[in-house]
Amino acid sequence: MSSNFPAPSAPLPRRIGSFLAGLNGERLGLTLHAALAAVLVALVYGASAKVGFAFTFQPRPISVVWLPNAILLAGLLLTPARAWWFVMLAVLPVHLAVELQSGVPSVMVLAWYVSNCSEALIGAALLRWLVRAPLNFNSLAHAGAFLVCGVGIAPLLSTFLDVGLVKFIGWGQGDFSDLVRMRFLSNALAALIVVPVIITWSTGALRALRDPTLPQRLEIFILFIGLLLTGTFVFESSGERLATGPALLYAPIPFLLWAAVRLGQKSVTLCLLLTFVLATWGAVHGHGPFVDGSAEENALSVQLFLIAVAAPFLLFSAVIAEHRRDRRAVAASEQRALTVFRAGPDAMAIVRLSDGAFIDVNDRWVEIFGFAREEALGRNPLALGMYVNPEAREAFISQTMRGGARNFEAELLDKGGNRHDTLLTSDRVDIGGTDCLVNVIRDITGQKEAEREARQQRLEVTHLSRVAVLGELSGALAHELNQPLTAILSNAQTAQRLIARDKLEVPELKEILEDITRENKRAGEVIRRLRAMFKKGEPQFIVLDLNDLMRDTLILAGGSLATRHVEVATTLCNHALSVRGDRVQLQQVLLNLIVNACEAMEAPGSARTLSLETTPLADGRVQVLVRDGGTGVPEPVMARLFDPFFTTKAQGLGLGLSISRSIVAAHGGELLARNNPDRGATFRILLPAHA
Amino acid sequence: MNERIYVVDDEPAVLRAVGRLLASAGHAVAAFPSPLEFLDCYDATVPGCLVLDVAMPELDGLELQRRLKQNGTTLAIVFMSGHGDVPSSVRAMKAGAVDFLTKPFDDFELLGAVATGLERSRQAFRTRAEVDVLNQRLALLTGREREVFEHVVAGQLNKLIARDLGAAEKTVKVHRARVMYKMGAASLADLVRMAERMGIGPVS
Repeated sequence: MSSNFPAPSAPLPRRIGSFLAGLNGERLGLTLHAALAAVLVALVYGASAKVGFAFTFQPRPISVVWLPNAILLAGLLLTPARAWWFVMLAVLPVHLAVELQSGVPSVMVLAWYVSNCSEALIGAALLRWLVRAPLNFNSLAHAGAFLVCGVGIAPLLSTFLDVGLVKFIGWGQGDFSDLVRMRFLSNALAALIVVPVIITWSTGALRALRDPTLPQRLEIFILFIGLLLTGTFVFESSGERLATGPALLYAPIPFLLWAAVRLGQKSVTLCLLLTFVLATWGAVHGHGPFVDGSAEENALSVQLFLIAVAAPFLLFSAVIAEHRRDRRAVAASEQRALTVFRAGPDAMAIVRLSDGAFIDVNDRWVEIFGFAREEALGRNPLALGMYVNPEAREAFISQTMRGGARNFEAELLDKGGNRHDTLLTSDRVDIGGTDCLVNVIRDITGQKEAEREARQQRLEVTHLSRVAVLGELSGALAHELNQPLTAILSNAQTAQRLIARDKLEVPELKEILEDITRENKRAGEVIRRLRAMFKKGEPQFIVLDLNDLMRDTLILAGGSLATRHVEVATTLCNHALSVRGDRVQLQQVLLNLIVNACEAMEAPGSARTLSLETTPLADGRVQVLVRDGGTGVPEPVMARLFDPFFTTKAQGLGLGLSISRSIVAAHGGELLARNNPDRGATFRILLPAHA
Repeated sequence: MNERIYVVDDEPAVLRAVGRLLASAGHAVAAFPSPLEFLDCYDATVPGCLVLDVAMPELDGLELQRRLKQNGTTLAIVFMSGHGDVPSSVRAMKAGAVDFLTKPFDDFELLGAVATGLERSRQAFRTRAEVDVLNQRLALLTGREREVFEHVVAGQLNKLIARDLGAAEKTVKVHRARVMYKMGAASLADLVRMAERMGIGPVS
């Protein structure tokens, strides 16, 4: 609803307004709009006063309908309160000019000015206080407030003031109560008829005239012509038809109903105005049903008739408008809901709980799963073969029944049999008395695919780095294999020689075979460990003993340590240190640290001692220490030690430590490094202990 | 001669197997898991061959070879290595190793190398025994005789020797005869060869 008030914040009009109003215009609350409105009000006030005089029952100083007060009230309702003083001031000269012309004593003229202003002020102030928002006739509350304040209280109070003044000054004749009645009714009727017209037409008038389509224009035209003809017939016909008069009074009612139900406030207020004009015109000119009694009685009849018609219709059309607005709001909200469902970014389906049949599915659902809506409706997802794993559906339904499923992961098949990784969210709702599930299906196939790829790449890099470490160990590993092979070959050939010379004795043969077997197994072990390290594959988390792992790793690295003349001091905790982890990956970390330590101790001035230690910690973690006797890690290198692709080796990839750290992190642990106070550096692996 | 074959390797399985192989070929074998133990126990009085692993924690093969050479050993050394790294093998061969075997090796390689080694050791042993005898004979010479000996092997004539030593030519002749007798030399050439063996250079 646009404001009925002139926009006080508009900078240009405000500036012009203040210019026009002089130095203090702005402070006095005047804007160009308000000033123009005030002048307009004053002019209309003057014109309507003239009309009012035309309807005055002389010598009583009271008109059948006294419009100026209503005009003033409408004027005040349309201007901001801080500009009221100016509106009333603008009315004063016009009031004086008009009233003095009509030969009324000047004291009386001033008294009327006061009472007129008081009526408008009381009405406007009460309404502004009660309604707060700009007054309109679209709601029952506004229409009711207007009837009570603008049509009831304000005319009544000002009437007492007015009549009091008239009596005090002693102008005019008549009984006090008659004057009160006549003054009140004429002012009330004027407010009731005029203010709604002005208020309803003060906004959107242009649109109301421009927007209607041709059929609508035709309807409006027919309505007004119908009302005009009917009204003319009822109110302007002469005496002989009066036998049916009272019934004829109802003739305009259908048109008013028509306007209220089909056309809205603007038409209703205009129709009321037209009815008012026709009825009063007839009465004043001695036509129609209101000509039987004295002039005053006739005026009273017209007034009561018009008030009795106008007041209910004002309320009735407000109710209709409210109803229309509510219906539009409901329709809009339904439309919104339907749009959200149909065109939402996620696939949605409404499923009947009793048999799981689809009641509705949205566009996205159709797009993802490839079933046409008609195909899906009435059938259930199992019948459509959508579940890769029907038990998943059972689990999903039971989770939903337990208070709604949230991001339930399920693999669904589309019509073409393609798999979709989805997240299902479901709630149980009652739709028109049917127990239903509203399912939101988010297709995360792409996301899953990307995750799989990323994981694959991570594994790939981890494996590459492992192979690189093994490459560095290759000499030592060859040594590790050559030892048993040497023993086996020599033993076997010894046996052959002894056989050839027929000197072989059973006990010796037994020893030889035992040695061969043992060494063969040993070589097999080395190869098995190597194969595990070379193998590519998903990590397998199992419970393992860190001491065991350390011993295993030393078998792989042992040769390397020996050829590098590194002495190893191993201090393993005297009981098993259980952790949950992937054997190969943890071994990779240990190997990495050991090989690095060996390389660190190749620097001149190093002590070639490597100390390995496993200890349980008080905080429920276990610790592996790898301490070398090298020259330590220089500070700038230490800062970037775990950065990927950072390396100090000519042949290094710079991935070993970065991958080791991410492996340890994936095990819920930490990999730390620091320089020892005396010499070399210590790497610490901290892992959560397995309870 | 009771020659000995020594095997030193810190890897027990290899030590046992290699020892067994050598024994099967009829050698007298002594096996040591540690080089220091070997140093304590080996018998320098007989020819022998040492089959030695290169990489060992407390004292590596090359270092052991250096020490033995310092002691003027007659032992021949055959190296075994888990990885045939070239610098080590070159060093070993330069220092007089018989062979450098890369594990695993065939029996004939080892036995061949050991045979060669033994032969070389025997040779060295014989040479040293002869030199020992000569040295003993040399010790029997008087100071004057020794001087004459040195001059003679330098190819000087008696007259010149007499003038150098400030003695009569006749006296020199007598000394020379005694030297020939004491050293057991049949001819001058024989005497020169002896001097060479003992490392006694001619007087310049």
